[in-house]
Amino acid sequence: MSQTVLICDDAIFMRTMVGDILTQAGYEVVGEAETGIQAVEKYKHLRPDLVTMDIVMPDMGGIDAVREITRHDPRARILMCSAMGQQALVVEAIQAGARDFVVKPFQPSRVLEAVHRVLAA
Amino acid sequence: MMDASATGAARYAALFQSESREHLDELDVALLALERAPASPDVSAHVATLFRGMHTIKGMAAAMGYTVVERLAHALESRCEPLRSGVEPISVDALTLLFDGTNALRVSIDHAALGRGDTRTDTATDTTTDPGEDDRVTALIAALRVAASEGTRTAPVAQGTRHESASTATRIAASTTPARGLTSPVVARAVDIRLNDDCPLKGVRAMIVVARLGSLGQVVRSTPPQERWQDDMFDGVFSVLLASEASDDALIEAVRNAGDVARVQIRVHVAEPAITAAPGRTVRLDARRLDTLLDLVGELVISRDRLVRAIEAMEHPDRHVTAAARDASRLVSVMQEEILQARLQPVSQVFDRFPRLVRDVAHELGKEVNFLMEGREIALDRALLDAISDPILHLLRNALAHGVEDGETRRAAGKAPVGELILRAARDRGAVVIQVQDDGRGIDRLAVLRHAQHQGLVPMSETTLTDDALLPLVSRAGFSTAHAVTNLSGRGVGVDVVSTRVRALGGQVELETLEGEGTVFTLRLPTTLAITRALLVEVQGETFALPAVNVEEALAYHEGLEVAPQALAAAGYRGPGGRAITVRDEIVPLVALDEYFGLDQSSSARRDEDRERHLALVEVGGRRVALLVDALIAQQDIVVKPLDVVQGAAPWFSGATVMGDGTPALIVDVASIV
Repeated sequence: MSQTVLICDDAIFMRTMVGDILTQAGYEVVGEAETGIQAVEKYKHLRPDLVTMDIVMPDMGGIDAVREITRHDPRARILMCSAMGQQALVVEAIQAGARDFVVKPFQPSRVLEAVHRVLAA
Repeated sequence: MMDASATGAARYAALFQSESREHLDELDVALLALERAPASPDVSAHVATLFRGMHTIKGMAAAMGYTVVERLAHALESRCEPLRSGVEPISVDALTLLFDGTNALRVSIDHAALGRGDTRTDTATDTTTDPGEDDRVTALIAALRVAASEGTRTAPVAQGTRHESASTATRIAASTTPARGLTSPVVARAVDIRLNDDCPLKGVRAMIVVARLGSLGQVVRSTPPQERWQDDMFDGVFSVLLASEASDDALIEAVRNAGDVARVQIRVHVAEPAITAAPGRTVRLDARRLDTLLDLVGELVISRDRLVRAIEAMEHPDRHVTAAARDASRLVSVMQEEILQARLQPVSQVFDRFPRLVRDVAHELGKEVNFLMEGREIALDRALLDAISDPILHLLRNALAHGVEDGETRRAAGKAPVGELILRAARDRGAVVIQVQDDGRGIDRLAVLRHAQHQGLVPMSETTLTDDALLPLVSRAGFSTAHAVTNLSGRGVGVDVVSTRVRALGGQVELETLEGEGTVFTLRLPTTLAITRALLVEVQGETFALPAVNVEEALAYHEGLEVAPQALAAAGYRGPGGRAITVRDEIVPLVALDEYFGLDQSSSARRDEDRERHLALVEVGGRRVALLVDALIAQQDIVVKPLDVVQGAAPWFSGATVMGDGTPALIVDVASIV
């Protein structure tokens, strides 16, 4: 059975792109979230093997979503998707419990490497 | 060389104590590692650490004339000898005795160094009638001796190789004395790492590497220090000092799996002797000198403000005087910052004794728990560090006693049988956050609610309690739910202590709990204790300071802002004083500070009714209140002096400060009002 992923990003474009990269590599995208609150709700509901999380999203940001999710499930595997120049936010996300990060613009090979690392640990 | 003068002796005693503590911490790390993995190939290294640590403490104690410590350390050292030589495998019994022994050693060291240290020197020869050696220590020494000479009659937890037992006594006599006095080396491994040149956000990647290593052992420190990793200058080359029982291969694999690693290499690390560490770059310094320096710089800041004001008040200030004052003022700020930085110490200094304490408490309670620590490198002012040790301990104890369930209960609830307890430090904007998180049963909201309603603390109409509402209730002094909710017994008093202490430090406590899933206590603290930014306000001619972290905004007061009492009553509003204002369509309770503090409103400092008054909008833990004051004076840095809070007195103030003109002002504990 392929491993399941929840994609959280407020931009359809980014969700589609990440989704394509992961689907082609054999992962199953089981859900998408556009806001932090949705991400938390869907995580609880879907219990995916992996979450990809944008940092800046409406209503609840990605970092708070990481906090909520890891509080609910300390074993949650979350991969942060960051834009350049968000170093401080990525630090905060890792401290909040995210396992790894990739930097936009995405290179498929980088994304998949990070996904492997997070799922292997 | 012993200094004969009293101050010399005291200095040596302090040095003895601080260095012994470092060794005791190492002993604890080694004992815990042995307990976790008694069959690991690194056992001999850990036993060597034990042996050396005890030997060093013995040597120092002998030099100081602390006979109890010396005798206990000697007995412990002897007990380790058969383990070290491989005659005896590591066993539960042996470890239990060594754990007890190091505990007792810690106590004796503190006694000796603090109490009768100097008289001990005179009576050093009289070991039999030593007044400092109580029955417990005597019994322990006897037990250690018996066990050491019996050698191997214990239940092995590991299939160690058991050689024919030679006479332990001759082994002890022949034992080598590798380390002496203050120059004992620490065995640990240094992991040197270079990240790929094209690795993005190298500082964050390095954090992930450390997190991976941290899951295999204890990260002692890193070079360059982690605070510098997020600088632009960080080039992705760093080194991590690690105490771990994992194999070299396992460490290398863990580092590689963290991603973007170009090179990793492992060295056996021999630490520089503590006292002579990196000559010229670090010095040991009595911590009280730093306290004195900070007090002095605090006074200097106040004189500077006075000077600046005096110059501003001059009609024709001299250009040279103004320029000189400006320079001096800038230098004072720089110096203040430097001293505050020098006082920062990593939380590991406090955290590192917790694994041992958690283990002991969990054992006592018969519970199994996996204790994790995160963010040991986060730095805090040393005064804060000292002050939070007890509150954290309280929270850890609470979590073990009342949060984490025993294995059977957990299994029945469908949880992993071993509980998880996490102690976490992290930086959050300007503050440091410390969390104690358990995955236990959580707090029974309904039981707390019923109990609070019973006591008249919460109206009967309420049907649920939010986390924010829960905290003040469980932290009410004497709010015991022992009968109503057994799993909360005792919690009231403990949380009360934590809450009071943290607020006195200018911090906040937050509570989150989910029934069946666990509880998180969050302590939010300022990084530095002594100087903080505050909004100064005037009420009835007196000056009060509102911590700037709590102040959201200030606005002019006019009656039109107030919500009509009828409207409030209709909305079912019950706030302090029954007044409220609307700010951007939100209803915020209003508190007139003069009434609240009981200041005489008809005093000589009577308010000019025509003068405009102001509101300071303050917030704590998501709750907001508008404070009505006579005037806003200024926003400035203030030096916080702790207030000796006498029971029952001045519950609204967390400290005091001295203004530029020398008059005192009280610092308002906003959390006690909202």
